[in-house]
Amino acid sequence: MRRHCSCIVSVCALAAAFVASAAGQDPRLARLPPEAQAPVGALVDSARAAGLPAEPLVQRALEGATKQAPGDFIVAAVQRLAIDLGRARDALGSSASPAELSAGAAALRAGASPAVLTKLRRARRQPVTMPLAVLTDLVASGVPMDSAAAAVLTLAARAGDADLVEFRRAVERDIALGAPPGTAAAAAAADAAATAAVQVNARAREQRPGRP
Amino acid sequence: MSEHDEDVIERVVSELRRPVQIDPAVDTRVMEEIARLPVRRGHGGLRAARVAWRWLARPRAISLSPLAGLGIAAVFAALVLALSGRWPGPPSAPPGERATREFQFVVVEPHAARVSLVGDFNDWDAARTPMRRMQGGSVWSAVVPLRPGRYRYAFLVDGRRWLADPTAPAARDDEFGTPSSVVTVGSS
Amino acid sequence: MGIDKVETSDADLVRRVLDGDTRAYAGLVARYRDRLGRYAMHMLGNREDAEEALQDAFVRGYRSLARCYEPERFGAWLYGILVNRCRTTGARATRRGRLFVRDEGALNGFAHPSGAERTEWEDAVHRALARLGPEYREAFLLKHVEDLEYETMARLTGAGVSALKMRVKRAREQLQVILREAERV
Repeated sequence: MRRHCSCIVSVCALAAAFVASAAGQDPRLARLPPEAQAPVGALVDSARAAGLPAEPLVQRALEGATKQAPGDFIVAAVQRLAIDLGRARDALGSSASPAELSAGAAALRAGASPAVLTKLRRARRQPVTMPLAVLTDLVASGVPMDSAAAAVLTLAARAGDADLVEFRRAVERDIALGAPPGTAAAAAAADAAATAAVQVNARAREQRPGRP
Repeated sequence: MSEHDEDVIERVVSELRRPVQIDPAVDTRVMEEIARLPVRRGHGGLRAARVAWRWLARPRAISLSPLAGLGIAAVFAALVLALSGRWPGPPSAPPGERATREFQFVVVEPHAARVSLVGDFNDWDAARTPMRRMQGGSVWSAVVPLRPGRYRYAFLVDGRRWLADPTAPAARDDEFGTPSSVVTVGSS
Repeated sequence: MGIDKVETSDADLVRRVLDGDTRAYAGLVARYRDRLGRYAMHMLGNREDAEEALQDAFVRGYRSLARCYEPERFGAWLYGILVNRCRTTGARATRRGRLFVRDEGALNGFAHPSGAERTEWEDAVHRALARLGPEYREAFLLKHVEDLEYETMARLTGAGVSALKMRVKRAREQLQVILREAERV
């Protein structure tokens, strides 16, 4: 009887351990260098436990794996992203979507202050994913963060996502033509703010399918 | 106008008619921009009906005998009545499709044997999204459905060379030593 | 069967795009890029603006393709969009020019097909064209360089046939005067 009970207990314990480890580890992480699998798995788990999106962390790790980066580089990159996602959540609020948090993390990494993220959230009823992305992209094009933030905040309240993309392209074009990046951003923002309402309506009409 | 003047105009026109070579990268930029638009759904029969309607409705000058004219007018009126009764409205997108949009990624690589698109949307798996050669042989293309969000991506050429997308914003934090690009999908 | 294997008509490509094959639009772009680009270059006078207007026209063409009711005349239909884009781009470029200092010399280069230096005559022609008012330049290019019929031009530009004939006539007269002056110098 006793042998029977201990056998059942062992089997149950093994099963529980197996289930626990299977649930904790994303199978995709098996692609990582062996030394990175456990640390990255732990980072992903604690992010999840903190209510942060895990998928961006997994994707950052997989990027490193595909690019054959050393294990410690991958761990460091995932750690940085996890911290940035947490800061983005602090600035944008707990109702922020995973897309907004990813964009917010990128903006913070580009040098935006948390205050800019918070102002953006307050200024705009629609999701802030695109304004944050445009902010980051402008800085990548050479626009100083202050100018980029000022321009995006000007547009955030009324411009739709498509208008913001158009604005970013206009700035990139003007920079390519020789304009100082800060001036380009300010000029394009003034342009876009003036025409945002008209363009939004026109685009909505054009994109509706099948209207003669 | 003198003969000399006519000659000048002819020479001007001849000069202006000379072929002008536009940078073929315009094609890539156009397709790239189009890729960011909502994907077009097939129209099929709806379009045929609309084209027929416009053909019928456009005024044309024709000469007819009065009798033939009356007969044709009667047929025309009957067709107009029939078509307007069954005029279909525009197709509406099903609820599921509002969440994702298909994006086309395009890159010019004239000498590559194979090109893969890798990014946050396909687990950076080089086998998941092989790109297809388009007309001409230098342009590669892949279409991917994307939900709103921000995605890092790059092109992997012949399994060993990494390429960022020259027409897209650069990914700012290049942490692994190779270039990447970013695409942001909005919700509106 | 891909579009690179068979010479497909404009109408077929348009229909394929409307049926969901976005890639077929690349065939139309490749087919019309240089021809439309030539008009944009002559109309706007510099490569940057011309390529911007051209790109814009192609994208708008795609977005409103459902309104191309005669797909076999896609080219002429696209011209209408390009004419419009050139008007807008031209106006915007003038405004932008006031904000930044641009190197006009660097920007106004034309790619000479043979790679040789531009001759004086080529320079004179382009300068003369640039001195025409935009409406006259537009009418002259559409009639004499793009070989469009007046009826087609009327549809594209929104102007009447007689007004267009007058503009073409004035454009010819002005070009002659300008070039005669240039020859004398």
